[in-house]
Amino acid sequence: MISFELTEEQKLAQSMLQDLAAKALRPAARVADESEAISPRTLAELWATGVIQARADEDAPARTCVTNAIALEELAFADASFAIAAAAPLGFLSAIAAHGSAAQKKKLLPLFADDDYRSASVAIAEPDFAFDVSAIRTSAVKTRNGYRLNGVKGPVPLAEKSSHFLVIANLDDKREAFIVDRNIAGVSIERKPGIGLRALQMANVSFKDAELAGDALLGEAAGCDVQQIVDSARVALAAIMSGTSRAVMEFAIPYTKERVVHGAALAQKQVIETDAMRWMVWKAASILEKGKVATREAQLAYTYAVEQAMWIADEGVQMLGGHGYLRDNPVEMWYRDIRTLSVLEGAVGV
Amino acid sequence: MVDFELTPTDEKLLDSAHQQALIARGYADYYDKHEDELPPREFPEAAKFPDVVTLAAEVPHSSGPRILHALVMSEVEYGGMGLRRSKWGLGNTVLETVATPEQIEKWKNYTIAIAITEPGAGSDPANIRTTATFDRETGEWVLNGEKIFISQAASADAAMVFARFVAPDGSRGMTTFLVERGTPGFTVGPQLKKLGIRSHDTCNLLFENCRIPEFNHIKGDFKSTMSVFNDSRPMVAATALGVARAALDFTREKLTERGINLDYRAGSRSRSAIVDKFIRLEAAHEAAMLTVMRSKWLEQQNHPPKVEASIAKAAGGKAARRITQGCIEILGPEAVAECYPLDRCFRDGRIFDIYEGAGEIQRLIIARVILGYTNRDLR
Repeated sequence: MISFELTEEQKLAQSMLQDLAAKALRPAARVADESEAISPRTLAELWATGVIQARADEDAPARTCVTNAIALEELAFADASFAIAAAAPLGFLSAIAAHGSAAQKKKLLPLFADDDYRSASVAIAEPDFAFDVSAIRTSAVKTRNGYRLNGVKGPVPLAEKSSHFLVIANLDDKREAFIVDRNIAGVSIERKPGIGLRALQMANVSFKDAELAGDALLGEAAGCDVQQIVDSARVALAAIMSGTSRAVMEFAIPYTKERVVHGAALAQKQVIETDAMRWMVWKAASILEKGKVATREAQLAYTYAVEQAMWIADEGVQMLGGHGYLRDNPVEMWYRDIRTLSVLEGAVGV
Repeated sequence: MVDFELTPTDEKLLDSAHQQALIARGYADYYDKHEDELPPREFPEAAKFPDVVTLAAEVPHSSGPRILHALVMSEVEYGGMGLRRSKWGLGNTVLETVATPEQIEKWKNYTIAIAITEPGAGSDPANIRTTATFDRETGEWVLNGEKIFISQAASADAAMVFARFVAPDGSRGMTTFLVERGTPGFTVGPQLKKLGIRSHDTCNLLFENCRIPEFNHIKGDFKSTMSVFNDSRPMVAATALGVARAALDFTREKLTERGINLDYRAGSRSRSAIVDKFIRLEAAHEAAMLTVMRSKWLEQQNHPPKVEASIAKAAGGKAARRITQGCIEILGPEAVAECYPLDRCFRDGRIFDIYEGAGEIQRLIIARVILGYTNRDLR
């Protein structure tokens, strides 16, 4: 039945996160961007929301994709990098929970259930100008003891702080996911700062003859449905883009009202698009939540968010004129962050 | 719980609506070429199918009466017209909203068109010039003026006419009058020659010293009367998206026949320009439809939407334009031929961002609400 009704739990989570966003997260955003680092305090605050641990709880209901989408939008409203700092381990855990063998779940989920921030991410994107999810170049071959991994992934958020990566690679012409411990031989990390999401310390992660045990293949003998992981990432990215878009809109509107420089043109379109973006995210998330295939809906939500978010951020800078250009105001940062978000695949999940 | 799945009841009704649409499109094509002819109240094939429009509001175990009604109306417009003439006009909604019980009782079986627009007052009703002057001797109102682009003009039983009045006590304002077809001094002009929606009954109305009794004065405050558009705006968007979907379905079918595969799994760098464009048009359709659903859902929650209704209308109108244009671009020169549905979709699709509240006006409304401006602050 078509419904936009949030559960009490969702309303509570939304309210709590809006509060955290306003009081603690948004005020820390600019410093994090300038210093290219998320402070331990902010990481602790993100961890304390419980969003990530909820995914790590084996007994918790599997159906939390919509709740996570709501959470990511609110976190992104505060700051896109902070949202990814939560969405990256979330995506990693979602993939393990959805596709892992009993043994893999038992080994990995509890690591994210305690009190300290821990990062991990789904490594799909590769540092190649022609990169596309349908043409992954990272590859794995079966060895006597397991698998050997070769290739480069990037940009990977908080790579140096991650304990694990879920690396999407080709195994005999089929995309599979490999659980890789960050500390094994053959894994090297190289910082690669970019236009936006600077607090996430993006990096390339290279795998040179990295030897993996037999239980590194997600799903073990069965392998897994990598497309679902791609879909989940697209939904999470769209949720984050919708939150940052809303941030632009809510920042620009009081400015517009006071200055009436460009009239209400921005407010009108932004409201339409930020609403529509959210419903598309919710629709895709609601399908994922039921364990059904959401490839088309995730694609549509992502494609739509990419286009609209970039427009909103672009107009947001224009609206504020010269002031939009200065780092004294957050719109230039959101402009950079949205451009970066809008070309990512993977990294995160719901 | 957030959900977007249709119930079995929704699906059943929509399936019937779709079957009817596939038949109706043949008739829509006929009237597209015979715009002066008025379609009958019902086509013969209607007897084989339920009245899905009426049922949508009544049937249990649906996603709700408003949501299902919008989905059904979208499906009806997929065909370009219904197999049954609509019994309802926006004038009926005005009657229901502001009229007295006696007035509602008298005209409850009438189809009532709404008559607001004038040559000098399209997007801004405040500029209307039709006047109603009270004749103390006869106790009648005398109407003078012209209304243009009136939907259901020839087929409706009456028109709900917006006019400026001068009351017996000298007070002035804007109000509405119900004028029955056939009233002396009330003329319905010929069918207008339109770019599209040629099967839709659209004419101008003329009032020349048209005398109507005081009983026909439908006294409502302007705000309540205009509130009927909060319900109708998303409905118009839903119909716009029906046309858009017909265009998308045809385009998808032809692409598939040509071996062009719509791959939702890949990223944008792996897609051809054609496929990328199609996916973006589909996304625009989905986005707009969801804003319609949101507005209708809020109505069902007894949370009257205002901004959401305008959001839906703006999104739906714009999407219909973009999609009906874009599909032709995708399929190329063959697509403009009359023998394919995209011709009529393109011509029909263009109206939805113009009538029933142009896109610019929707965006103005949205801006006023969001920014807290009055009509005077922001034009």
